[in-house]
Amino acid sequence: MKVKEVLHNVVLLDRNGRKILATKSRYAPHYGEKKYGEFREWMASRSKLAALILKEYVPEIKEDWKILYLGAASGTTVSHFADIVEKGVIFAVEYSAKPFSKFLELAMERKNIIPILANALQPWKYSGIVDKVDMIYQDVAHPEQVEIFERNADFFLKKRGEGLIMVKARSIDSTAEPKEVFTRVKQRLKSKFRVLAVIDLEPYHKDHVAIHIQR
Amino acid sequence: MSEYRLWFGIVKNGKITPSDDFKKSFQNCENAEPLPFSPSEVGIKHFGSLDAYFSALRKVAIDVVKKIIEHELKREDRYAVLLLKSLDELNETINLLEEKLRDLEEVKVSEVTESFRDRIAELKRLRRDVEKEIEAIVSKIAPNLTEIVGAVIAARLLEKAGSLKRLAEMPASAIQLLGAEKSLYKALSRMKKGKPAKFPKHGVIFQHPFVRTLPKAKRGKMARFMAAKLAIAARLDYFSGELNEELAEAVRKRYEQLRR
Ligand SMILES: C[S@@+](CC[C@H](N)C(=O)[O-])C[C@H]1O[C@@H](n2cnc3c(N)ncnc32)[C@H](O)[C@@H]1O
Repeated sequence: MKVKEVLHNVVLLDRNGRKILATKSRYAPHYGEKKYGEFREWMASRSKLAALILKEYVPEIKEDWKILYLGAASGTTVSHFADIVEKGVIFAVEYSAKPFSKFLELAMERKNIIPILANALQPWKYSGIVDKVDMIYQDVAHPEQVEIFERNADFFLKKRGEGLIMVKARSIDSTAEPKEVFTRVKQRLKSKFRVLAVIDLEPYHKDHVAIHIQR
Repeated sequence: MSEYRLWFGIVKNGKITPSDDFKKSFQNCENAEPLPFSPSEVGIKHFGSLDAYFSALRKVAIDVVKKIIEHELKREDRYAVLLLKSLDELNETINLLEEKLRDLEEVKVSEVTESFRDRIAELKRLRRDVEKEIEAIVSKIAPNLTEIVGAVIAARLLEKAGSLKRLAEMPASAIQLLGAEKSLYKALSRMKKGKPAKFPKHGVIFQHPFVRTLPKAKRGKMARFMAAKLAIAARLDYFSGELNEELAEAVRKRYEQLRR
């Protein structure tokens, strides 16, 4: 098995020609992913960040970064994020109780996750909890995605801090062409941030793009 | 001068007044404006080290989430169903009153008929609020059902099944007929008497445009397909609560196919 590191604790495994993305992790599987020795498979179909990395766009997330994660759900992506920022902290916000009960298992296992059950549209409600962060990662599939991002950036994003926004066309506007929606979102983000890249997540996630920005 | 609410207490003029109940202050640390510092910068003074600070924060956060989840999971589907029932009552009342108002106005327009009309408008506003709340609750507790059929029909399915748990336990064939119990019962009793009987093909889900707008001959097919996906959706919603976008996508595709 060949191992190539692409980011701190993130590797591409080559198993007889089959490429597998994984994170180095001493923890057990969280969502049914396979373990290969000390590596936990990171499934692109389940995680948009994994899809982004497999599309060879690798944001330089540092091991000691503080992350604000919006839309944590049951923690699929957060579980891998926590492997990466092993010396940092993840403030994880989710507003739905159901998936968060599974998330709780993850939060109890890891030392670097702070779970927050709140609506990401109201960052002021958790403003006395969350630090200024190096990155805001957002995957909320919510009609007001951009608004959510801007508000949270206002409250918590450090100067020159970065943002990764997973944009789902259909939850913003189910009638418009995805391309059109993405252009609109990009234009709007441009007025406040530097847009570093826009990456299509096909074929892993249909009608989704990742937008990487910097303050 | 400026006062900041943090999860572990209040900071005023740089001085910390620690809270005597962290779980409470954690849930009550709203600040209208962004703080000019990070809570951990102040916390390190109070807790002694960054490690101690984060481990205390983590413990409180976990305790709070546990408490809220326990509370929410028990009640939200009942709340949605009760709201839906109120919505039905409201609809009926509004229709009835509007009818009466029309009758009245034909005979005489008076101050009383004016205020009659105002009250009806008020009820309509209430109805909108109830609908919004149903939407908010149902899309939260049943994101997969909502993605497939929309919040109101999803709520209707919950109502007919009794709870999300019961809906999750139902086979697709039963979900397909939810809300058609009456006609099913009629058909069965006709059959027992040896008379010709027409069995219903769809219940609540017939309200959905994907079924309703198809030619008659294709509705049964669509309803069956939709019910199969709804059965999976209900289980996902009940057991994990995570959205699987493929379900609604498949339903949409099937509809496109049948429409042609
Ligand atoms: C596509 S899922 C996220 C999947 C997750 N990021 C992962 O990769 O493991 C979107 C999540 O965002 C949550 N969400 C949507 N709107 C939200 C809001 N306003 N505040 C907080 N969470 C929200 C939903 O409840 C859902 O769990």
